[in-house]
This record gives sequence, C-alpha cells and structure tokens, in this order.
Amino acid sequence: MRVPLSWLREYTPVSGPVEDLAERMTMHGLPVDRIIRPWEGLMGVRVGRVLEVSDHPGADRLCRIVVDDGGGQHEVVVGVRNMAPGDVVPYAPPGATLPGFEGKLERRDIRGVLSEGMLCSPKELAISGDHGGILILPGDLDPGADLKEALELDQAVIDLEVLANRADLLSIVGVAREVAAMTGDELRVPRAEATGGPGRAEDVVTVEVTDREKCPRYLARVIRGVSIAPSPLGAQVRLAAAGIRPRSNVVDATNYVMLEVGQPLHAFDLHLLAGPGIVVRRASEGERLTTLDGAERSFTEDDLLIADRDRPVAVAGVIGGADTEVTGATSDVLLESARFQPVSVFRTSRRLGLRTDASTRFDRGVDPEGVEAAADRAAAMIAAWSGGTALEGAVDVGEVPTRRTVAVRSDRASALLGVPVVPSDVRQALGRLLIPATEEDGRVVAEIPGHRVDLEREVDLIEEVGRITGYGRIPSTLPGVRQAGGLDRFHRLRRQIRDLLSGAGMYEALSYSFGPAGDAEVSALARPPLRIANPISEEDGFLRASLLPGLLRAARRNVGHRRTSVRLFEVGTVFAATGARPDEEERVAVILTGPAAEQWPADRREQDFLDGKGILEHLLDGMGVAGWSLGGPPHGLWHPGRSATVLIGTELAGELGELHPRIGGAFDLVGRVTAFELRLAPVVEAALAEPGYRELSRFPPLRRDVAFVVGARVPAGEVRTTLEQAGGPLLDRVVLFDVFEGDPLPAGTRSLAFALDLRAPDRTLTDEEADAVVRSIAERLQAEFGARLRSG
Amino acid sequence: MDRAEALRILEDARRDGVAAVHGAADLDALRQLEVMVLGRRAQVAKVQRELGRLPADDRPDVGRAVNETFEALRGAVAEREAALRAQADDAVAEADRIDVTLPGRRPPPGGLHALTEIEREVVDAFVSLGYRVSEGPELETEWYNFDALNFPPDHPARLTQDTVYPDVPGRDDLVLRTHTSPVQIRTMESQEPPIYVVIPGRCFRRDTPDATHLPVFNQVEILAVDEGLSLADMKGTLEAFARALFGPDQRIRIYPDYFPFVEPGAGVDVSCFLCGGGGCRVCGNGWIEILGAGMVHPALFENTGIDPERYTGFAAGLGIERIAMLRHGVPDIRMYYEGDVRFLSQVAGRA
Repeated sequence: MRVPLSWLREYTPVSGPVEDLAERMTMHGLPVDRIIRPWEGLMGVRVGRVLEVSDHPGADRLCRIVVDDGGGQHEVVVGVRNMAPGDVVPYAPPGATLPGFEGKLERRDIRGVLSEGMLCSPKELAISGDHGGILILPGDLDPGADLKEALELDQAVIDLEVLANRADLLSIVGVAREVAAMTGDELRVPRAEATGGPGRAEDVVTVEVTDREKCPRYLARVIRGVSIAPSPLGAQVRLAAAGIRPRSNVVDATNYVMLEVGQPLHAFDLHLLAGPGIVVRRASEGERLTTLDGAERSFTEDDLLIADRDRPVAVAGVIGGADTEVTGATSDVLLESARFQPVSVFRTSRRLGLRTDASTRFDRGVDPEGVEAAADRAAAMIAAWSGGTALEGAVDVGEVPTRRTVAVRSDRASALLGVPVVPSDVRQALGRLLIPATEEDGRVVAEIPGHRVDLEREVDLIEEVGRITGYGRIPSTLPGVRQAGGLDRFHRLRRQIRDLLSGAGMYEALSYSFGPAGDAEVSALARPPLRIANPISEEDGFLRASLLPGLLRAARRNVGHRRTSVRLFEVGTVFAATGARPDEEERVAVILTGPAAEQWPADRREQDFLDGKGILEHLLDGMGVAGWSLGGPPHGLWHPGRSATVLIGTELAGELGELHPRIGGAFDLVGRVTAFELRLAPVVEAALAEPGYRELSRFPPLRRDVAFVVGARVPAGEVRTTLEQAGGPLLDRVVLFDVFEGDPLPAGTRSLAFALDLRAPDRTLTDEEADAVVRSIAERLQAEFGARLRSG
Repeated sequence: MDRAEALRILEDARRDGVAAVHGAADLDALRQLEVMVLGRRAQVAKVQRELGRLPADDRPDVGRAVNETFEALRGAVAEREAALRAQADDAVAEADRIDVTLPGRRPPPGGLHALTEIEREVVDAFVSLGYRVSEGPELETEWYNFDALNFPPDHPARLTQDTVYPDVPGRDDLVLRTHTSPVQIRTMESQEPPIYVVIPGRCFRRDTPDATHLPVFNQVEILAVDEGLSLADMKGTLEAFARALFGPDQRIRIYPDYFPFVEPGAGVDVSCFLCGGGGCRVCGNGWIEILGAGMVHPALFENTGIDPERYTGFAAGLGIERIAMLRHGVPDIRMYYEGDVRFLSQVAGRA
C-alpha cells in the first residue's frame, strides 16, 4: 500500500522527517518497506505562462511557443498545439531532467529554430499516460515556481507492507487512523455531503441479489449527465503517487475513494446495461465474459458474477467487464458499492489467477459499515468532477450487520503481555483505536467497529493493548525451564555421520530437493520418483529420489572449475511415490572422483572403489555399526564389476560402487566416479550406543606373517573371515598387508599376505602354540578355498 | 722410580694425553687414543703398578696423583667423545636438510556445510536453554501445514506461503511444508506441557530461484508451552539466544507483526552484528530483522487438546540462509546449494 504523505496529512497531522515516521510506524506494527519519491527523476521543471503561439517556419506539424518562466522569455519548439497564450504549462528548461529521459535537457536546434528546452505532457511528467497534448496547469500557479513544489510532486510516499489480517490498512484513512492512535493526534475523516439531484435512483435501475451469502450488500447509485474528461490535476497526482494511473474523472473518482477509505467501487455505463438492472448471481458452468484487461475468462458455478438482465457484466469483487465500461461516450453512470464474501472473492481471484486492487481488499474483508458512505462520497466526487448530477438515494440490497462484542480480561492481558494491565489501560488503548468499550464485572467489553474484521477474540484485543502500550515497554524475563535440554538419539547420530565424513576429508554439499525426470536414471536405491503437481520449471518436475544426482551435478561443477579432486557428501531427505501415502526417508551419500588429492606431495592416485569402501568403513566403524557386509552388485547404475549392496544384518541399507562409465560421461566426468548412498534409519538403528570393553593382554604377541595362494576370483573378504574363525581366541589381530598376482605365481592365482598377531590374555604364548594356530588356519583355508601356504 | 719421577711421569702423561685426546679427529681415532692413554700400557697404568714399590711415605701422594690423572684423562675422552658425536649428528642432520617451505603432506581437507554449522549453533543455543530437538516430515498434510496453524482455508494469509504440491493421485491434502511450524502441532499433539522444543528443518516455497530466493531453505523454530509464559519470557529467551549466537553485547527489539499461528505476533530485530548497531551498509539503521515470533494462538491449543486457559506459550522462527548470508557477506543465496568447493571451503564449519 503506497501512502502519499501529503494525502495522509489530510486526515491526521504528521511532522518531522519521514524516515522517523516510518521507523515509528514499523515499531507500531505498520511495517514500512521503503520510502519512495516517485518524481525523483524530475528536476528543474518550472511553471511557465504561454505568451505566444506561432507556426514553426520549417515544419507543418511543429509550432513555436514563447513562454515566460518568471525570470525571462524562452522560445520552445513543440509538436502539439493544445495551448493558447495565457495558459500555464510545465516548462522544462535546458538542464532539467525528466523521469523517462536519460540525462539533462539541452538546447537543441529543431529545423532552424533553437528550442530552449520543452513543454511537457502528463506522460512526460509521469503523472498519467496522457501524451495527447501539453499539460495545462491551473491558472493560479505563479510562473517561475518549481513544478514539483507547486504540484506536491516532491512529497514522499510511504510503501507499507500490509499484513494479511489488516484489511483496514489498505486505505489512507485506515493508515491515518493507526497513525493517529500511535501519535495521539486527532483523526479527520472525510465525510460525503448528501447529494441528490432531480430523480431517484430506484426509478431508474433495479438490483437483485440471488446469493446473499456471497453478496451480503449491494448498493447502486446513478449519476447522470457526466462528461468524461481528465480529473483534477491534484487528484491525478495523488493517484499516480499511490501507484494507480489516472484515466478519466469517473474512473479516477472510484479509485480515489477506494484508496481513501478502502471500499472498492465500480462504474458501469448505465446505457450499456440491459434493463437497466443489476443481477448478482452465480455463474453457470463455463459461462464467459471478456474482462477490462481484454482477457476472455470462463467461470464455474462457484464464481459470483454481476450481470444485467441479459448477460454478465463484471466478476464480483475482482474486475469489470469490457463492454460495459465507462468510455469517452458515457453520459450516465451506475456506481456499484458492495460487499462480497471474502472467501468467495479469494477463490475466484485465485482460480482466474488475477489479483486486483478490488480483490485484495474484498478477500481480506471491507468495512461493512462503510459501503454506503463510500458510494455517497464517490457519487458526489463524480458529479463534481464531471459536471453530472447524482440522483437521489440508492438502490440498496442488504444491511449493515450489528457489531460483535469481545470481552477482555485485564489479568489475562497482564499474563500474556508480561506487564501489569488494569481495566482502564485496556479501555484507554481501545479508545486510542476508536474502539468503543465498556467495563462489566471487571471485564472490558469492546464493540468492534466494522473496519476491524481481524478482531475476533480476546487475544486479538490483547495484542491491540500491547501495540498501544508499545512492545518496547515489555520487559525481558527468562522462563524457568524445568527440563534438561538435549538432542535426541537420531539427531545426535546424524551429527556424528556428518562429523565423521567431514573429518575424513570431504566437504558437505547441499542440493535442491527437486530435479528433472532424467534423475531417475542416476538414482541409488531407486524407487518410483514423486512428481510435483505445480513445478517451478521442467527441470524441477520431480522430488529427488536419491542424493546422487545432486552430487553428480556438484561434481560436474567442480571439475568444470578445474577442481578435479572431488570428495563430497550430502545428508538429506529423498522421496518416493508409494501409492496414496508417498514416502520420505533420510539418506547419506558420498561421491569421489579424480585424484585422491590435487597438490604435490599428496596422493595423485585416481580415487576408486576401495576409496569409497574405505570411507564407508570409516563411517560405519565410527558409528559402531556391527554386522554389516557387502552383498551382490546392485542394478545397472553401477559398474557391474566394481559395486556392491551394503547390508546391515540382512537389511538392504545402501549401495556402493563405481558408477557405470556411461553415467559419469553424462555428467561430463572423465574416469572413475565412486559413490555410495545409505539409508540413515538402519545405520542409526545399528549404531552402538555404548562401546564395550575387552581386557587388554599384558603379554607380548607373537607375529606370524603368512601368505596364501588362492584362485584369483576367491574373495579376499571371505578368506579373511574364514581365517579369523579358524584362528580362534588366540588370534588377536589380522592385517592384510599384501595382495600379489603374477610371476612366479601360476596364472589365475594370487597371493594374499596376512600379518597375524597371536596372543593370550594370561600368559606368554610359546612358538609351538603359535605354530599350531597357523597350521589349523592353513588346513581350514586349504579345505575351503584350496589355498596353499606360501611362506610363514 | 722415586716420588719425584713418578709425579713427573704422571704430569707428562696427563698433559700429553689430554692434548692427544683433544686432537682426535673422529670417534675411531678417539677409541685408539683411549686405549693408549688409559689402557694397560699407558704411562699412568705403569705408575699405578709401581705404587707398591715406592716408599710408604710417598704412596699416598703418588696414589692421589694417579687417580687424578686417570680422572682427567677419562674426562677428556668423554668430553671429546661428546663433541665428536655432536659433530657427527650435525653432519647427518645437514645431509637430511629439507626445504621447510614445501607444502605439508596433509589429509584431504573437508568440512561441514555452512548452513549445517549455523543450524547447529542455533539448535545448541536453545539446547543450552533447556530445549529439546523435535523434528517432522518434509512432506506434510494441509492440516498440519495450514489449517491446524490457524491459516483459514481460502484466506490471503496462505498466499504469503506459495506452496509446492506433490502429485499424488487421489490425494489433494499433501504439501511440501512451507515452514517448520507443522512440527509445533505434531509436538503439542504428542506431548503434554511443559514443552520446550527447538525444531530445525528444510522447507519449501514455490519461489523462482534468484539472488535472495530459493524454493528450498532451512528454518529453525522454537516452541515453549507452559504455565505462566508471557511475551516478556519470549523476549528474554530470544535475547539470551541472540547473545549466544552473535555475542554478549547483543540487544534485541520486538514490534507487532502478523503470523496466523501467533497472537500477539511479533517481529524481532537484533542489533547489527556486523557494525555493532551503529548503522552500516547491510543493516542501514543498526538493526537486522531475523525472527518472526509471538504468543501461541489459542486456536492451536484448541486444535491439539491443550487447555488455553491453563497454558500459554510462545514460538519463534528464523531462516538459516539469511543468517549465513549476513554472516558471510554472501551476495547470492544460490551459492549455498551449488556444491562449489571453492565456496564450501571458504564458509565451511570446521569439523
């Protein structure tokens, strides 16, 4: 809501710098977005009086004007000729600046005549869209005066953010009411003079309302004999400052009163209405109307229309129809002032995708007590501005609802606000807001005026008491919280996952939760992706089903910036379309590609499967997850020879591997791309709450290095597991320290070398005991894998 | 050999021996010299063997001189050995010299995302005030996201939260939560007061990405429900929080604001943590708006079966990205979601 300061001042005194006022308003609950000076770009334009108008010697369509700007006479070349000697006009001398023009005006030779600046049209001054002629100013302005001062174009405009509950602040009077409550100054509300010419409105038009729920009030006035012309300049300036382009006297009057008091109004050309009669009714399914903005719109049975006897002529509370609008030919006007059900206007405006000045007021709720006054004020204004006559009375369907009352307990107000409040404080605060209140049994009973549609219950009024008291006067206290704070287990373990991965030399990335349909191809632990009904773009058509696509895009971005060593992880939620109840689950994913490190002397080796597995081990061991293992390779996203499923117990917890080369290629990644993705739930489930203690032996271990030759395809993990089983309790520690293939080993075999620490908790082991353990291991491996002991 | 001769021999052996030991070029030479001056054939050893043949009166003097000579020579050997060893160590160290300005062999760098780090700081600040973490789903129902929070259907308040809807055949009641506030309802449904919870989470709005908007963002909010809580308690709590997060000199100010789920509602500014409140390019007037807050609307209590006459409560919420951008001076919110390591490493939390 744009509030021109000079307009606001008409209803309540405001003084001091506008910045201070804005700050006070914000603190009072009227948040000011910014302060605008709409004519900032207009400088140096003066009031001038036309002395001479003559033909340009060198061009038919141009004329020469001599203008007096108080300081002297100047010759100007002008392209239109709507002015005569004696007219007062805006004169922009060389050096002036205009809103729509780059730089300063200069003297210019126009076909042999030196033009000292220009005269301005309303459009050139950014007052209206009128570019048909030079703006003729009121005759009482003094030549030489600064135009901005003369027309109040130098006034600041406060751009107010109107909170969604405050319908009443969508009007200058409503804002003035709040400012007056804040400052304690008086409020002067504009009053409509009761006007009534010859004839009565009810003899001319009829009004029928078929849906009183959606339209509780409809009031029509008739103004006859209007002549359409620009409205008074002062009104145009105010409309322009408030952000509404002036059009003509009749339409401007409806907009002016809407901005003033918040009641949207609409003017129909009376002769274009069949009947003439208004019928307020629901649309029939598929009914159509071309609206003022030129769009043909169709409606449902839920939409409320304004119709005449034959056809729809407006969308109730939203926008007028094109073929009954006021035009230059209009002589008689039907003025609508009505109240529509907020929810109904909201739904229709939403369905049409059309938010208008009218709909934003109606859908919050206009003042039911102001419908008639607004009509009267606008009718008088139209008559005064257009030379017409407002007929006496109105055709009025519906009535003013009785005011609701709301009781406030002052002790409840004290309890909520944290400051002492007595009944008289409540009454005083409400009094400042012009809300009548009485005291009954220690309670203050307020009678809610129509414009405060937001005040429905006690707590709403307590807020008003707090606002008038000033939130700044509320003290600071700390409540006595009678519980220990803390993180729950899931939250704590999620933190641990992030700490383990970042500590393992990876940066945490965050990705959007949305992605294109194609992401399904690169999803780990794939599930059917969940589509978005109203995506922002095609690229965001689905909720992510996996964290990998986001990490792949991040990897591509980094490689594109020559950061080729990529080590990233993400923790986040993924979604799946699983019938009527779509699913979401949290996951963690890691991506590795490029060299292990970038800079000499660090490791330039290409990261591969075992790097990914190493991080997985680091993570799961760090979490204390026992009983996890790798299973057979997962589906086609992965390199078939370098991937595995991750099992915790028997539950599928994740997938690990190098991505299939075609997938890296699709993301412009050259070389191996290693990744894993885990579901958080099973990891957290299996994480060990308390680490256990096993007694440490005081006796030295015996070290035996043994190498076994096995078939090249025999999994080292299985050999190791079997070895550990065969080693029994004396086998304290096993380290695989070498894997060797090739000469002198037979083709198709490889050697696995293990370092074994053998140790007993209660004595120093003898060589004989150690050799016996190694023998039983060798026998077992021989039996299960055909392993041959190479040395030992 | 008489006394005088013995003492002269010892004197010569000591002088010549010490000089020779000091001249030893290396440890091997020193070993040989040690044998020569201290061994069985050394002059001092000879005198020692002759001791018994000396007159009894001379023996104490000569015996003392023998011992002194031995000590002096042993001391010289030890001293020379220490010197030669130090020389040898120096030589080894010199041969081992490296360029200490070469880059260190460091583990790969890593770190938490800046938004994670700030979320933790915010959560921990409230945990230290006695709050517990509460979380909820990102996919919500209209009831939890709007209706139960006192957003009436078909009310303009819903337009302030442009919503992303999942496409689920047969269901039109699901939304991607537009704020973390649905967790307020879920918490009040599942827990009796007193309730003090802090609620972090990712939220969604249908905003086209630009420098200050993203369709995804992170909020943290708090909910306190107890007997006797007032706006003053809310103010004190948020002041304590602001000091925990931004420093001990922080001030806050509150002013009326509107959110459907609180009444009275409040906006909360903190004194600018960049300029200290004097006014700068970022804050303008010394204050930075970071929180929306207010007293829990009684409709929420009615919707969750909590007695609004017995209990009151307050809630407050803030956006993590906003705090991050202010703190880091980052001009474009999208950078937080691009995974560019050059950026992540600049603003990373330290793990």
